[in-house]
Amino acid sequence: MKNALVIAAREFEEKRFVAYAAVAFAILPFLLAVIPGISGKSPQDTIVLSALIFGTTFAVAVAVISGASFIGRDLSDGRMSFYFSRPAGSLSIWFGKLTAGILMIVGTFGFIIVPARLATGEHWTRMISSSSTWSVIYLLTIAIALFLIAHVISTFARSRSPLIVFDFAAAVICGVAIRLLVLPLVAGGAIVLLKWLAISLGIAAVVAIVGGGAWQLERGRTDRRRNHLALSQFLWTTMAAALLIAAGYVGWVVSIKPADLTGHIQASSATSGPLAVIAGNAKGRADYRGAFLLDAADGSMWRVDPWAAWSARYSRDGRSVVIPHRSGNVVDMRVYTRGKSEPVDTGLTIAGGEYIVSDDGGRIASISNSGILSIYEVATKRSLVSVRLPDPMFVRALFITPDVVRLYVNVQGGMKIMELDVRSHALRETGSIASPKFVHFCLDATGARMLVRRSREDLLTLNDARTGAVIRTLATAGQLKDADYLRDGRIAVVDGSASAMVLHILAADGTPQHDISLGAKQTASIVGDDGTRVVVSDTDAASGRRMLEAVNIGSSVIEHREPIRDSVLSGTFQLRPPIEPLHEVLYIGDEGRVLAWSPATGATRMITGG
Amino acid sequence: MSDNAIRISDLTVRYGRMIAVDHAALDVARGSVYALVGRNGAGKSSLVRCLLGQQRPQNGSATLFGEDAWSRRTSLMQRVGVVSEDADAPPEMSVAAIARFCSRLYDKWDQDSVEARLRTFGVPLTSRFGSLSKGQKKQVSLAMALAISPELLVLDDPTLGLDVVARKSLFEEVIGDLADRGTTIFITTHDLAGVETFADRVGMMEHGRIVLDEDVDALKSRFRRIRFAAQPVAIDTAALRPTVMRSWGGGAEAIVSNYDDVSFERMRSASNIGAAEVQAMSLEEIFIAIAGGNNS
Repeated sequence: MKNALVIAAREFEEKRFVAYAAVAFAILPFLLAVIPGISGKSPQDTIVLSALIFGTTFAVAVAVISGASFIGRDLSDGRMSFYFSRPAGSLSIWFGKLTAGILMIVGTFGFIIVPARLATGEHWTRMISSSSTWSVIYLLTIAIALFLIAHVISTFARSRSPLIVFDFAAAVICGVAIRLLVLPLVAGGAIVLLKWLAISLGIAAVVAIVGGGAWQLERGRTDRRRNHLALSQFLWTTMAAALLIAAGYVGWVVSIKPADLTGHIQASSATSGPLAVIAGNAKGRADYRGAFLLDAADGSMWRVDPWAAWSARYSRDGRSVVIPHRSGNVVDMRVYTRGKSEPVDTGLTIAGGEYIVSDDGGRIASISNSGILSIYEVATKRSLVSVRLPDPMFVRALFITPDVVRLYVNVQGGMKIMELDVRSHALRETGSIASPKFVHFCLDATGARMLVRRSREDLLTLNDARTGAVIRTLATAGQLKDADYLRDGRIAVVDGSASAMVLHILAADGTPQHDISLGAKQTASIVGDDGTRVVVSDTDAASGRRMLEAVNIGSSVIEHREPIRDSVLSGTFQLRPPIEPLHEVLYIGDEGRVLAWSPATGATRMITGG
Repeated sequence: MSDNAIRISDLTVRYGRMIAVDHAALDVARGSVYALVGRNGAGKSSLVRCLLGQQRPQNGSATLFGEDAWSRRTSLMQRVGVVSEDADAPPEMSVAAIARFCSRLYDKWDQDSVEARLRTFGVPLTSRFGSLSKGQKKQVSLAMALAISPELLVLDDPTLGLDVVARKSLFEEVIGDLADRGTTIFITTHDLAGVETFADRVGMMEHGRIVLDEDVDALKSRFRRIRFAAQPVAIDTAALRPTVMRSWGGGAEAIVSNYDDVSFERMRSASNIGAAEVQAMSLEEIFIAIAGGNNS
């Protein structure tokens, strides 16, 4: 310890001119502040800015120059025996020189910054913000990192050993390994884990370089090539060990399975068929989000991007789903189909905007943020047509047939209805709906008729889906909650007060058939139907408990109830009723697990967290 | 406590495929002066670095006072003064700063002796080390090495760069004085004439091997130059182990490495060669004879 301080003091003494230079640079901001052409309106701004620039530049320059010379130059000039022929241990020599180098960086930075900080008072904090302390710490950390890296490069380069080829190869391998570790964490949205990985590898690198420096002097002493060899061995062995440990952990993190998902679950499911996307966090994996496309019927699964729960677009037949996949800065569309182990990479890339899929999953329509509507064919991977929408506002679209895309475009004062014919490339306005408010709507299975209601209004109308013309106003008891088409073409409407919620069943032309009392509910919405039962998601007025209820529309009996914590997104982007009957409803249970519930039997089964 | 200040056993140093020191072995008794000679590249400096614990040999060991030089270097250096082959102090440091730095590292330090020696050498304390001549740098190193009253002084080619006066002063006043006081001295040098008067033992390295390790007196007593007045027709000098045999003037000259008077007289009478002059040889002449003999 004493010898380390003696050596540190010697280093300081040798490099005292650096401190003199720092003092000169500390005065410079104050001189600049009094020069009229430079200082501008606020001399204090000039002091703060120039002190920061000079301090940073000086600290970085001192770091790089000192790092490149404090050991490497003594070795290459044959001066290390000055220390080793005296009773100074290798550790004392290393840590003495290292301490001096680091204190030199911090000290010179302080020499320049502190007078400016004291002189500018509150002006400094106003200008640099409250995070200035952290900025200074980050800056010094970077400078010290540069100091250590410069030492390594200097030792390697000055040894003039062919071993430098190995070092270069090892550095490249480390870089590739780090990239391989980072990519899956980026794909999993694991910002916290990435931060911890960076900190861990940073600490490992510091240990490798600081420990390697001590090791190189202990093993190599005055011989520059043996110093190089020893540093190289310690550095790359330590980094390899750290990377192996990190790889083991990252490997475990990314080996997540649907059953592991226990927290922050996000899920969406097809309205037809058993496809569902489930994403969530798992124990011990911090914020890494595993996301899976599941076929709940046969248990097969694919890994997908963590935001796929929102971005998945299920085909109406329930056989396919289009999910965007981010690869670097490119997001490409992949089509997953039941029974096929590999997705089809469509070659279609998007940069924001909306997209829909045809009923059979064979075509994709994308609407870019700039209002370009394009139709792609999945099988041939080619664009069939692209048109610019006249008024690129909020658009909801659907494939009426594979060759016809209908668009409902929100415009000032209502909604325009348009159709794009893929074969003729013609985009035609077919109708409109006047409304000062946002329009909610859904279509029947054929796309000929639609149910329309204005936001926060109880009025429900049956309209022509192509022209928007009102066919009939449907009777409701007020306080309309939800309305939707059933698979057989009939209409289901939920309305009523919190004390008496009612499910109305109407014929396809809007003629009321019968009403079913749901009891006292705070809210209620229609999930779907299996031909016999309508599944309603509601909140019990008394307990506040959310429920799924299977309402037999033949007997008007609520056959099964299932308490849930949260529902799973389903049919959000589907404007028409599903083709297949609803067999199971996915929901999030009290434990944060995803479960599947059968409205026919009331049975549940665990999908995640089992 | 070991009787030897230095023991080198089976020491081997390699640089890649090149062998710098090849299974070298030697002992240096406490209080003796050992001179290691050899041509440039013979392996002397590598051996010295191992001896000072600055380099780890691939094989064998170097011990100082019975302790391993590599693993016990830090504590051993409290007892060892070193003058390196290349003056190694940072060039920006003043001589006074070097002395101040060294004084903090050693348990015992005689600052007065440093200042007195530097005055004698004519080296100002305020001089920057980098501005000194090669000889002055050696003198500064020597002054530092002696400030701890070392039990062992290792001098790696100390006369390199010294002028004639300084060299004479080094050998006669400094090393001679230390030898008289019982300090063990290990010196590598080309200046055989300088060490001849006080070296107790001499070693010679060639191509990494120690080809000679012997007391100086014994070495000098067995080497002789014999000059024959006439070219001998058939003489049997085998018993004297000639290293060199060549024509000289009208006669011949032989350098023998196993001379003794009895053998010489027996040879002369048996060969009937008439007049022959027997001359003692200096260390330098012996070194040249051995080096030449080994090369031939």
